Amino acid sequence: MLNRLYRWLDLRYGIGEIAEKELTGYLLPRNINEWYSLGSVLLVIFAIQVATGMLLMIYYVPDADKAFKSVSFIMNEVPFGWFIRLCHAVGSNMMVAVLLLHMLSTLMMGSYKAPRELNWVTGFTLFALVQGISLTGYLAPWSQLSFWATTVATNSVSAIPVLGPTLVEFLRGGKLVGPATLGRFFALHAAVLPVVIAALIGAHLFFLKRTGVSAPPFGRDETANPFEAREYHYQGHPGGIPFFPNYALQDLSSISIYFAVFLAVVFFWPNMPFTPDAFVPADPFKTPAHIKPEWYFLANYQTLKIFPSELLGLSVQAAAMTFLALLPFIDRSPERHPLKRPLFLTLVIAGILLWIALSVWGHLS
Amino acid sequence: MENEGRRKFLGVCVAGCTVAAAAAAGYPVLRYLAPRSGQGGAAKLVIPAGELKEGDAKFFEFAGSSAVLIKTSSGQLVALSAVCTHLGCIVQWVKEKQQFLCPCHGGQFSTDGTVLGGPPPRPLAKIPFTVTEGNITIG
Repeated sequence: MLNRLYRWLDLRYGIGEIAEKELTGYLLPRNINEWYSLGSVLLVIFAIQVATGMLLMIYYVPDADKAFKSVSFIMNEVPFGWFIRLCHAVGSNMMVAVLLLHMLSTLMMGSYKAPRELNWVTGFTLFALVQGISLTGYLAPWSQLSFWATTVATNSVSAIPVLGPTLVEFLRGGKLVGPATLGRFFALHAAVLPVVIAALIGAHLFFLKRTGVSAPPFGRDETANPFEAREYHYQGHPGGIPFFPNYALQDLSSISIYFAVFLAVVFFWPNMPFTPDAFVPADPFKTPAHIKPEWYFLANYQTLKIFPSELLGLSVQAAAMTFLALLPFIDRSPERHPLKRPLFLTLVIAGILLWIALSVWGHLS
Repeated sequence: MENEGRRKFLGVCVAGCTVAAAAAAGYPVLRYLAPRSGQGGAAKLVIPAGELKEGDAKFFEFAGSSAVLIKTSSGQLVALSAVCTHLGCIVQWVKEKQQFLCPCHGGQFSTDGTVLGGPPPRPLAKIPFTVTEGNITIG
């Protein structure tokens, strides 16, 4: 039956040829490692976020008077509503975590170097957009946590000289966070950002297809970047391992491991994405004590606190983000092996330690 | 030959796991999407008989659908489904003619639900009711 269907399609559309080119004939470097499968894991996470988001929209009401009630209804009344919502909430945290790992591996293996500058830039922009979609989605339940976390997050924009206060008002749709903010954030979260993210994923994959997969710098003598800026050249890997079945199996293993971790959190640590304030409806007249942002914003939050002026704190972060975004254009050395790049390795480790320290400090403060 | 057998066995295992995973993910989604029971309105409804004048009709929600109670000019009570049997629009009561008209495609029904004209293939369904102490109990 399946063979007949395959033959029917192949006779008309030549799918065998595509499969040969993109699957069995798509060769990857022999020393490819597990880290290369994180992109596939991220695609799966994004698909789950889109699917669960669509499902939540069936019962969720983006109205300040009804949002909290509709979320409580999903959690307590709708069969498996808790499951769909937890998948969405935990999934957003997971997406940021896996994105960080994906970027870290790209950084360590020097895969961002020429000719893959735009792969890195689109990836970095995706990271910023994922943070944006997480932030805008955070307001949706209209709980005390959502309301005040959004107040604090949008307020930091006011530190920008001259334009700051106007920008904050524009962002919120009013002087304070209110029903107008929910309308804007919901439109951004459920319509604008998913489309922009999907388009950028398309661009990211297009660049990957055109440059070819980079070979990891490990397990070989020659670790310098082979790129020469003379003419377009696709980096193929003759004699490499086929994507299907070999690497598809690795992708599948990584996705399975991801699911194990993800579902373990959903079932055994369902409060991970929430604090007690997440279960109290938003009250614009009562600020709860100790409002903290999500774990991935803790370092930013703490940085804002330790600088004497908010503008300085914001500028330092903007500078760090710009430096990271433009890294392929700044770091032009051909060497890709981390152990042969001591300065780079020191900076990366110091950067990670600083980020962890700031996050822990932000959490405990 | 042994390899063939192994390959087939693994194939069956993978297919089985895929089906199991799809079922595990599909069941919650199906339950989540299923219409909630008990949301279709009351299965019994009491209407005071005094609410209805002769020649008038009263539309109401009954068991998750639309229904109508009429008191004909001869004083007879009739309860019918208000859903047109053609394509499911809600019929309207034309008091002057003492008949139902479906505004979608012009189906016409008499006071007892019989098709008088137009495309409807069946009469309007009758709904049982009882009258006790001035109250009409539908269902």
